[in-house]
Amino acid sequence: MKRRISSDLLIPSVWETTTNHKMSDKKKNITSLGERRKKFSFLIPLADLRITLTLLSFSMVLIFVATLEQVRVGIRGAQAEFFESLYGIWHYPEQFWGGEFLNPLPIPIPGGYLLGGLLILNLISAFITRFQWTGKKMGIQFIHLGIIMLLIGQLATQAMQEESRMQINKGESKNYLERFHGVELAFIDVTNPETEQVVALSQALLEGGGMHYSQDLPFKVKILGFGPNCEFNSLPPAREATGPAEKVNRGVIQSANLEIRPKPEDFSSEGMNFGYVVFELLDGAESMGTWAAISHPAGNHWWAQINPKMGDLAFQPIRMNGKLWGVTLRPEREYLPYSIELLGIANEFYQGTDIPFNFESEIMLRMGQNQSRRALVYMNTPLRHEGKTFYQYQMNKAADYTVFQVVRNPSWLVPYIACILVSFGLLWQFSFHLARFLSKNAAANKSMA
Amino acid sequence: MTEKKKSLRLRVLSFALVLSGIYFVFFPNKYTPLSIFDFFRGETFSDQEIINLDAFSRIPVLRGGRVKPIDSVARNTLLVLRNKRTALDENGSDVPAVKWLAEVLFTPERADELKTFLIDHDQVLGLIGKKLARDGKYFSYKEIEPFVEEIEKSAQDAGKIDQEYRNYFHQNIIELYHGLVLYRNLKTTLIPPPHAPSSSVHDHSKLEPLFYHADKDSSRTDEYRRFRALTSEISANPDGIKMGNSEVLGPLMYFIDYYARFNLFAEFFPLPPEQGETGGKWRKIGESMVGTEPLESKQKAEIEPARFISTVRALVASPDHELSGKITSIRQNLKMDPSALFAAQYAEAIKLRRGIDPIIEHYEHLGRAYRENDAHSFNQTVIEMRSLISQRAQADVSTIAFEKTYNGFEPFYRSSIGYLWIFLIAGASWLMSVYGKTGKGKNRASQTLLDCAYLLTGLVLIAHTFGLAGRMYIEGRPPVTNLYSSALFISWGAVLLCFLTEKFLRLGIASAMGALIGFGGLVVAHNLSIDSSLNPSGDTMEMMRAVLDSNFWLATHVVTITIGYSTTFLAGFLGIAYVFSMLFRTVTKTPKTGKDLDKTLVSMIFGITCFSLFFSLVGTVLGGIWADQSWGRFWGWDAKENGALLIVIWNAIILHARWAGIAKVRGLSTLAIFGNVVTAWSYFGTNMLGVGLHSYGFMDKAFMPLMIFIGSQLGIIIVAYLPSFISLFIPNKQRGRVA
Repeated sequence: MKRRISSDLLIPSVWETTTNHKMSDKKKNITSLGERRKKFSFLIPLADLRITLTLLSFSMVLIFVATLEQVRVGIRGAQAEFFESLYGIWHYPEQFWGGEFLNPLPIPIPGGYLLGGLLILNLISAFITRFQWTGKKMGIQFIHLGIIMLLIGQLATQAMQEESRMQINKGESKNYLERFHGVELAFIDVTNPETEQVVALSQALLEGGGMHYSQDLPFKVKILGFGPNCEFNSLPPAREATGPAEKVNRGVIQSANLEIRPKPEDFSSEGMNFGYVVFELLDGAESMGTWAAISHPAGNHWWAQINPKMGDLAFQPIRMNGKLWGVTLRPEREYLPYSIELLGIANEFYQGTDIPFNFESEIMLRMGQNQSRRALVYMNTPLRHEGKTFYQYQMNKAADYTVFQVVRNPSWLVPYIACILVSFGLLWQFSFHLARFLSKNAAANKSMA
Repeated sequence: MTEKKKSLRLRVLSFALVLSGIYFVFFPNKYTPLSIFDFFRGETFSDQEIINLDAFSRIPVLRGGRVKPIDSVARNTLLVLRNKRTALDENGSDVPAVKWLAEVLFTPERADELKTFLIDHDQVLGLIGKKLARDGKYFSYKEIEPFVEEIEKSAQDAGKIDQEYRNYFHQNIIELYHGLVLYRNLKTTLIPPPHAPSSSVHDHSKLEPLFYHADKDSSRTDEYRRFRALTSEISANPDGIKMGNSEVLGPLMYFIDYYARFNLFAEFFPLPPEQGETGGKWRKIGESMVGTEPLESKQKAEIEPARFISTVRALVASPDHELSGKITSIRQNLKMDPSALFAAQYAEAIKLRRGIDPIIEHYEHLGRAYRENDAHSFNQTVIEMRSLISQRAQADVSTIAFEKTYNGFEPFYRSSIGYLWIFLIAGASWLMSVYGKTGKGKNRASQTLLDCAYLLTGLVLIAHTFGLAGRMYIEGRPPVTNLYSSALFISWGAVLLCFLTEKFLRLGIASAMGALIGFGGLVVAHNLSIDSSLNPSGDTMEMMRAVLDSNFWLATHVVTITIGYSTTFLAGFLGIAYVFSMLFRTVTKTPKTGKDLDKTLVSMIFGITCFSLFFSLVGTVLGGIWADQSWGRFWGWDAKENGALLIVIWNAIILHARWAGIAKVRGLSTLAIFGNVVTAWSYFGTNMLGVGLHSYGFMDKAFMPLMIFIGSQLGIIIVAYLPSFISLFIPNKQRGRVA
């Protein structure tokens, strides 16, 4: 019985002798492992090391292919296709040897969620049915516990992490973030110059389509079409637009006679996505007209520069019941209970080179009740405040503005803990190994002498 | 040793071998004229009757963001132009780098005759009407000069093509063009380009008397003085600055424009910060005369003349103590206003930049003394200007003397020769153990060689370590700062580990493989240093970009991950050693006494893979934490991150396959060899993709070598399984009959 377990355990040969000693010394541990194996016998096949090896080999294929694909579809695209999916379809790159023949062949690649999930299952099964819960094997347990945490932590991060940007001009202050990806249709009541009232429909609602009500809006909004990216061009007055903008009879799109052609979202890092939405406003049951809006990826203030006729895409006016509303499709915003003022920026280069050694923004963080503090945000030193972290992202010295990348990641601590667990476990295990090797060697030398 | 007595012959042999190692590592030879003792000896004052170029080469200048001795400028630029650290004269004999640079700076017409440029692409050679077989591959500027326009045009056409679609001709012609620009910039660092006033804009008769004339003037400082006289006249009478007053404005604008352009054509910064100046900015000569242009020259077209002139007048008319405040205010608040910005530059040039920097005069003296071969005056001026520069640059120059000696010592060149030597000795010991005399004699001879290889590894490691430590001292940074230094460090780590392994297991395998990785790593490093797309300035100690500028993370993440690369390569090379020793046994039909050797090799590979897993995993996770600190995400699926993850997973696979009993001796070895492929991909391949945050440069030149390396590794894996294949088709009995 003892022998059978030890061979099933698949312990490295170098450690086998120690394990055998243990077994005779401490009966309790063996019984506990034996009991576990009895109780969870259905997990034993799942804990097989050959499954681990297969899964690890597939992850190598997945990572390699996904890295190659980054050249074609960008990091975000490859991430969505391969890492954040159960499986991805890969086509052998055309420019490689034999590409013209192999390219049309769709090759399924197991995705990150599939492999990650299976690995977690495999690891947990191994924990229960294979690992000895003893001091000498503590290292192994710590390592694998750390790996499980890393895997789960990455899943959690991908589910919960939010990335936004905040652009501030020198001397101005901002109290909202803009999402990198995702737009919102905002209705802004500017009747009272002192306060702005904003009602926004998120991208999820726009994608869903249908009719939307709000007690803060005097009209109903019916979404007729939405896309994350499009091409547009101004048609001569005589021609009628086709496509999504066909029904539009009010606003800028109509006055500039714009035609909209949907395009797939560009995931590459330089991708410029012009989101569009076509919507109808209704006063009760009566239609007020159909509008469309396009968002400019660099900010809607750019429209006026592209074409004066399109400047109003930043703010299409709608009058209703003596109130002035403006509507615009813009990067989704998140308003903050505090604001950040940009006091100054520095962008320094090593003398005589174009290698930057410093990007730095000096800011004033203004919280409620007249509380405020100064801060410097530069490379490797972000600003952390209320669960959000502001990183120096871009900077324009000539136009005097700075852009922060703002990240909220509630699970940021998990990798740190996992890292400590894994390093500790590895050190523990390998120092045992090294000590054995050295003592064995010393013994061998002695016998030789 | 525990053996009783070594024969005299063996003792002499080991003594000679160790001595040869000491010679390689520490003493001067033809290619590296300086020895370890030069570090302690300091400067040796040579004969005052000859020009002391050694002293000249220690003058500090600023190039590539870093203060360095002029010696480094000479060597680095030659590395770019000729891929060597020397030039050739007409007879094909070596010209030392400093001598070459002195000629370029002071007697450009003589330098033009020296063979400075490496051109080895047949199409590029065809462009300048040369053939490799007939004319060689090294050319002087004079030989290339007639074709400069054609080269420029071809390079510009090639530059329009996207980088990944450029062919070898495109790359080579662009490189040659960059080299020509670099060379011309060096020539015009101390000597301004010739005057060329346009006859339509400038009144030549007004300008001519101000220009430098070699026959009348003692040096160029006379011209600078005449310009200063002009500006002090103007600042005494600011009302003269008005529209239409070409008498005053014509020469003023010509000279400010001319000196400002002189900045663009200078390769390095010869002038240290001025006395008492805060901020410590080095200057070029033109900059010292008139400052730098605030915007690109073409934006001068957007200047509104009336406002520009009135602003200059107002600024020059304001009192001294207010002026610099006003200029700063314009530069901060009117960034989009060319008229105001250029007016600020003019006002600075007219009123604030007074006098002529004494270092300019020193360089003028130096040039004249060099041309007239006046050794006494040359050497005297060098001493004077060096003391003045160190005084003005203060802390900046502390490492200069060390760097100069370090350059001449060439620790990595020495180490690479040493490693080659060790590999040969270890190889000889194996041959001796197989073919040598039977009986005890052969073992003793091969054992002696192994001990020598071990001792030599230790010695060469000292030189290699010294090289890394020297870089750390000069840069003030952890050992790995760029791809070049990572290659140095990877080979160092592998050799160190081999040295320790060999201490316990005196088999020669670790020595040989360590030497192989050491040599290979240094060769890779050398090739990285001459890759002009990776290292355009030729300085391997370039400055770090802002995001990398963190000694803490460089010391932790980068060093750990590099050790991970290093150990993975080592495990792979031990795998190769196993495959070859197995093949050797099969081919020579040596009886299988090597069982013990197999076991030792496997436990070495296994143990080193444990190290690899540890370092690559910890390094990768540390990288994640750095990324979390600077970009806000622990993991971003960036190409380099993925590459590191591949190494981690591969090491985990090796260890688990061993634990599962799936991989035995040969399996473990071939898995470890494939680890070489994985590591090479992560180390170089990911950079070639040109995506992600870690892409330091598209290295198409490295693509072929990488493919060859990967192919060779896969080849060795196939070879490892050949015996099994053969026995599959030819059963054992039959094979016996054939044999």
